[in-house]
Amino acid sequence: MAFIDARTLPDASRIDADLVIIGGGLAGITLARELAGGPLKVAILESGGREIDAEIQALYAGTAVVKAPDNPDKPFDDYPIQSRARVLGGSGMVWGGKCVPLDPADFAARPWVPHSGWPLTRRRMQPFYDRACDLLEIPRFDADNKMLKDPARPPLALDPRDGFFSAPRVLTRYSGGADKDAFDRFRTDFADAANITVYLHANVTQIRQTAKGDEVEGLDVACLDGKRHAAVGKTYVLAVGGIENARLLLASNSVRPEGIGNRHDLVGRFFQGHVTYSQDSDAETEGTAIHISGQASMGLYSTLRRSLPQCVVAAGLPAQARMGTGNFTATFNGVVQTETATPPEVETQAMRRIASRVDANSQGKGQLFGFFGMSEHLPNPDSRVTLNPSVKDPLGLPRIHLEWRYGKADWDNLERSAAGFGDALGASGQGRVCWPIKRGQLLEISSASRHHMGATRMSADPTKGVVDPDLRVHEISNLYIAGSSVFPTSGIANPTLTILALVMRLADHLKRDMGARR
Amino acid sequence: MTPALARRDLLAALFAATALPGVALAAPDAALFGDLDQAAAARIGKAWLAQHPDIGRAALARRLFPSGRGPDALPALRRRVSEDFRHEAVFMHRGWRLSETEGALFGLLALEGAS
Repeated sequence: MAFIDARTLPDASRIDADLVIIGGGLAGITLARELAGGPLKVAILESGGREIDAEIQALYAGTAVVKAPDNPDKPFDDYPIQSRARVLGGSGMVWGGKCVPLDPADFAARPWVPHSGWPLTRRRMQPFYDRACDLLEIPRFDADNKMLKDPARPPLALDPRDGFFSAPRVLTRYSGGADKDAFDRFRTDFADAANITVYLHANVTQIRQTAKGDEVEGLDVACLDGKRHAAVGKTYVLAVGGIENARLLLASNSVRPEGIGNRHDLVGRFFQGHVTYSQDSDAETEGTAIHISGQASMGLYSTLRRSLPQCVVAAGLPAQARMGTGNFTATFNGVVQTETATPPEVETQAMRRIASRVDANSQGKGQLFGFFGMSEHLPNPDSRVTLNPSVKDPLGLPRIHLEWRYGKADWDNLERSAAGFGDALGASGQGRVCWPIKRGQLLEISSASRHHMGATRMSADPTKGVVDPDLRVHEISNLYIAGSSVFPTSGIANPTLTILALVMRLADHLKRDMGARR
Repeated sequence: MTPALARRDLLAALFAATALPGVALAAPDAALFGDLDQAAAARIGKAWLAQHPDIGRAALARRLFPSGRGPDALPALRRRVSEDFRHEAVFMHRGWRLSETEGALFGLLALEGAS
C-alpha cells in the first residue's frame, strides 16, 4: 500500500496491523513478499530509510572483543557498527549476493560437537531452499546438482571414502552489491500490495508483554527526531539482525527483568561468526596454498563470476565424524603460480614436482593456488551478546557488548580439518596442502565476515532454545524470530539463503496459524 | 654404481609409469627432473632423515622399491602415498603436508646424491 516516514506521523500515533514485522531487511521483506496480496494486514517497522545514514547506523554502536586460547584478545569495537546495514533492505544493501544452503551435516546432531543439531533436517528444508532459490533467480541446490556437471569445469576427483566433497556457491543479482536497480525493486515493489505498509525511520525500543508475560501486547516505536508511537498487532515477527534480535529481547524487560524469551538464560548466548584463515607467503615463510597435480581446468574452484558457480571443498559428515570436527571448507584463490613460471621457493617447487609425478594421471605438471580455510565456530554458551545498561543510544536502548569466544576445541577443529583436507587431497592423488599457520597467530590473521548467528537459537526443548522449530519464542504465544540468530549451529554457508528458506517456512506457518491461506 | 647413475635410476623409476617404459628408462633425467633443484631436494631429504636417523640408503631403497626400479615402481609408490595419507603417515616440511613415502623419496635422493 505505501511507504510512510514515521517522522511524518503525528506524535503518539498508533500503528495497527494483523502482523507487525520488526525490521525491513531481507528477512522482513521476504516475509512481507510472501504475504503480499493476502488477507492479512501487514506492517513493517524499519529503523532506517532508503539510504544508509551514519546517524542511524550509529544506533548499532557497542563494544566487542574476540577471545581465544593461546592468542591475545582482539579488540573489535567497530564490528557491531561495521558489520550490518540499518536501512530498508538491511545488509542486503551491501551484500555480495553469495548463496549456498547449509550442508546436511550442519543440521545433524553430532555427538562430538556439543550443542549441535537442528530440530529440522536438510531434507525438510529442501522445498524452502528451492523457493528461496527461485525468488533470487539462481539454480536450485538439489540432489541433481547440475552445477557440477559442466565438462568444461570438472570437479576434483576426490575419493568419497575420505569424506570431502565439492560444494557449489552461486551469486544472485538481488543484492545491493551486485545489481542496485534489481535490488531496489526487490526491496520496494512488494509494498504495492494493498495489505502492506512499510514504516521507515521507525525504531522499536521495547516489546511490551502482558502482565502475565506470555503474550506481546504492543511495541514502543521511536524516531530519532523525538516522536514516539505505538504499534499493535495480533502477531509479531522480530527480524532486526543476529545481534539486534538478542538486544531487543534483553532490553524488553519491563515485565521480566531478564527480558523476553530468556527464562533459561539463553538469549544472547551461543553467538557464532564466520571467519577466514589464510596467510600470504613472503621471502621467509610459506602461505596457505594448495598444489593441484595436473593441469585440468580448475575454473569450478578458482573463478567467481555472477553467471557461474564456484566450489569450495568441504568436510562432509563422514569426514567430520572421523576427524572429530565440525564443518570445514577450503576456498581457492586465483592461480598463484603455474609450473612454467619462476618458482616462489625452490623447496616448494621440488615438493610440488615430486607430488605431481607421484599423483595418478599427472605428467609432472601442476597448479598452485592460495586458499583460505574456514571452520565452523562451535556452539559455545560463553560466546555472547550482553547489554551494557549504563551506556545507551539516543533512543534510550542499552548498547551491546559482544564477547566472541573460541575455545581450544575450535583450534583443534581447524587444525585437524586442514590436515584432513590435505590428507584427502593427497589420498585421492589430486594434490597437496600447505598450512603453515601457527596456533598463536590464528586470531591475528583471521578475517571476520558479517554473519551473526546463534544468539536466539532454535530448539524443540524450551530449556535449550529461545525459539521452537516454528520460530516462535517458547514463552510467548504471538512472537516469532526470523534471521540467522535462530541458527543452532552455523556451518560455513553464507547465511542469507537459509534465512530466506526459514522465512518461507515461517510464512507458510503464519498463513496456517493466522487463517490467511489464499 | 655412481651417484649420478643411482639418481637417474630413481628419477627414471618415478617417470616410468607416465610414459612408455622403454622411453622412460632411456630418457635422460635432465628431461625429467632437470629443473628439480638438487640442493633443495637434498635439504628436504635431510629434514626427513633427521626424523629417521636409523635408516640407511640400502634399507630405504628396499623400502621404497621392493620390486626394483622398473615400470611398476611408480604405481606402487602411488598406492603407498594414498595409504600414507589415509593413515596420517605424513611428513611436514615448511607447512606442506607430504606423505611419509614422499619424504622418504627425498631422503633417498639426499643419500644417493651424497654417496
